Amino acid sequence: MLGFGKQKQVTEHEAEGEIERVYHEIRQSLRVTGINLNFRTWAGYEKFFPAMWDAMRPLAETRAFETAADSVRAEAVRAADKLPRLENQARAALGESQAYQLRAALDLYHYINPKLLVFTSAVKLALDGEQPEQSGKASADVELVERGVPARMYPMEMVSSEPEEERIKELFGDIKQTLSLSSINSDYRTLALWPDYLSAGWEKLKPIVQGDEFKRASDNLRETARKLARTLPFPVPLSRERVEELGEDAGEIAKTTEKFERLLPSLIINIALFSLDWKTPETLVQSPFPATPRRMAVQGGAR
Amino acid sequence: MNWREFQSMQRVAELGDRFISYLDEGTGEPVILIHGIPVWGYLWHALTPALAKQNRVLAPDLLGFGYSDKGDWFDRSIARQAEMIDAWMEKTGVERAHIVAHDIGGGVALRLATLFPHRVMRLCVMNTVCYDSWPIEAMLQFGHPETRRKLSAASAITMLKGALKQGFAKSPDDELLDSLLAPYTTEVGKLSLIRNAAALNTNLTTEITALLPKIETPTLILWGEDDLFQLVKYGERLARDIPGAQLVRVKDARHFLMLDQPDEVAEHVSAFLKGEQVETAHAG
Repeated sequence: MLGFGKQKQVTEHEAEGEIERVYHEIRQSLRVTGINLNFRTWAGYEKFFPAMWDAMRPLAETRAFETAADSVRAEAVRAADKLPRLENQARAALGESQAYQLRAALDLYHYINPKLLVFTSAVKLALDGEQPEQSGKASADVELVERGVPARMYPMEMVSSEPEEERIKELFGDIKQTLSLSSINSDYRTLALWPDYLSAGWEKLKPIVQGDEFKRASDNLRETARKLARTLPFPVPLSRERVEELGEDAGEIAKTTEKFERLLPSLIINIALFSLDWKTPETLVQSPFPATPRRMAVQGGAR
Repeated sequence: MNWREFQSMQRVAELGDRFISYLDEGTGEPVILIHGIPVWGYLWHALTPALAKQNRVLAPDLLGFGYSDKGDWFDRSIARQAEMIDAWMEKTGVERAHIVAHDIGGGVALRLATLFPHRVMRLCVMNTVCYDSWPIEAMLQFGHPETRRKLSAASAITMLKGALKQGFAKSPDDELLDSLLAPYTTEVGKLSLIRNAAALNTNLTTEITALLPKIETPTLILWGEDDLFQLVKYGERLARDIPGAQLVRVKDARHFLMLDQPDEVAEHVSAFLKGEQVETAHAG
């Protein structure tokens, strides 16, 4: 069971002080409408979380980071393309507006999850005492990408992790048991806004995620993310010693981080599988929200 | 029709970077139904079947409401909503339409009738905001940014259900209240509703007061006469200011008159849209 420590998650509306500051910066720097489960969980370690973010933020705003995530996304699509299609019949029952919003929600996670994986891998490497191989570049030589949430990105809306509706409760239970999760991910909570769709999709997805081919693809994606994290341009000033100095349990945080690193590749492939019902692989290997260079954005007057 | 069936019938229109969801049922002269706060297009579910027999019924969720865009980065004022309706009509090829509107939707409708008169064929407002009749105290408090932290989505729904009950002449069942608030049960939905409440602005109706006597559109004002949120005295004032406007008081009805007295309201609106005299013993 992938437990995430004893720490309570910090939801967006509960965030205060430093956590609130970091959540805002995550949305701006990672260009995302909401705060995913791994950040909400890390935020439970209230001294570690801001220190980790401040160490990672310079990297997370670079073109190299964005490009690494793009590579992960493309590999996930290619892997998903080799797996059986979900051909989710429930999509037929969706109305025009529902389908529009579902596609927008899939784009949101298809964009952010690969970034989360590269981010998590970089944190894991730092906690293991390993730094990116090319780190130490002068910051002037590194291209930064624009900040701010893309105008058409879907809000990270999701049902409660403990839903009242019985069928969603049962569905979440099955997903958690099958994927050995202790908490249900934001992605499934968002897809549960359209419960018939998620239910039919999960029925098709469940045997796929239990297969060897899926597990191999997931392991490969994790390896790719680690390799890419090693190519990022800045060092990450974070270590177990630093975490211990902050008064946090470095061992527990490292375990939590490792669990996210193990979980995210499957999630990325799953979202790619859902997305393949709606878009071609050629479209999906492209970033749904390409980032312009920050310098160009400044020249254009949009600071 | 339950709210999930209603939602599954909604179409979608992109307006720049935003999108709105809307119902589009029936054929005939178009009629646009505009809801208020804190509900969504489902407000009209009881009226829609009757109107769809004679009209093309279009019922949008306003920006930030229902299943329209709920991102946290745009204006939700009634001024912006009126501009949105204008742009949406352009996009959907509806040159002119009858407008039937309630609560802040009525504020949107009054702005359409005064500032976009070429869009409006006939105007029917129900327990509408107007002049300085709004915002009501509960919505002012709800719109404070701190509400986001003070209330979880579940607590907000409980509070809103309590407030909504005051808008009915007879206590509504839980299923109806849950349906009217269904889009706001998530944290994103809650925040969107908070932003909608924060956008309530008296100035946007007071600034068109001088234009009301210039409205040439045939106008029907329906009012649930026991409304505690929007008092009938405002309906009387509107009826004096809009030339030729007819005020009809609906008995045994409060704010949500179309749900308190669905048959009577459907009868009045259908007759008005056909250009017939609205017959009632309670005409003001």
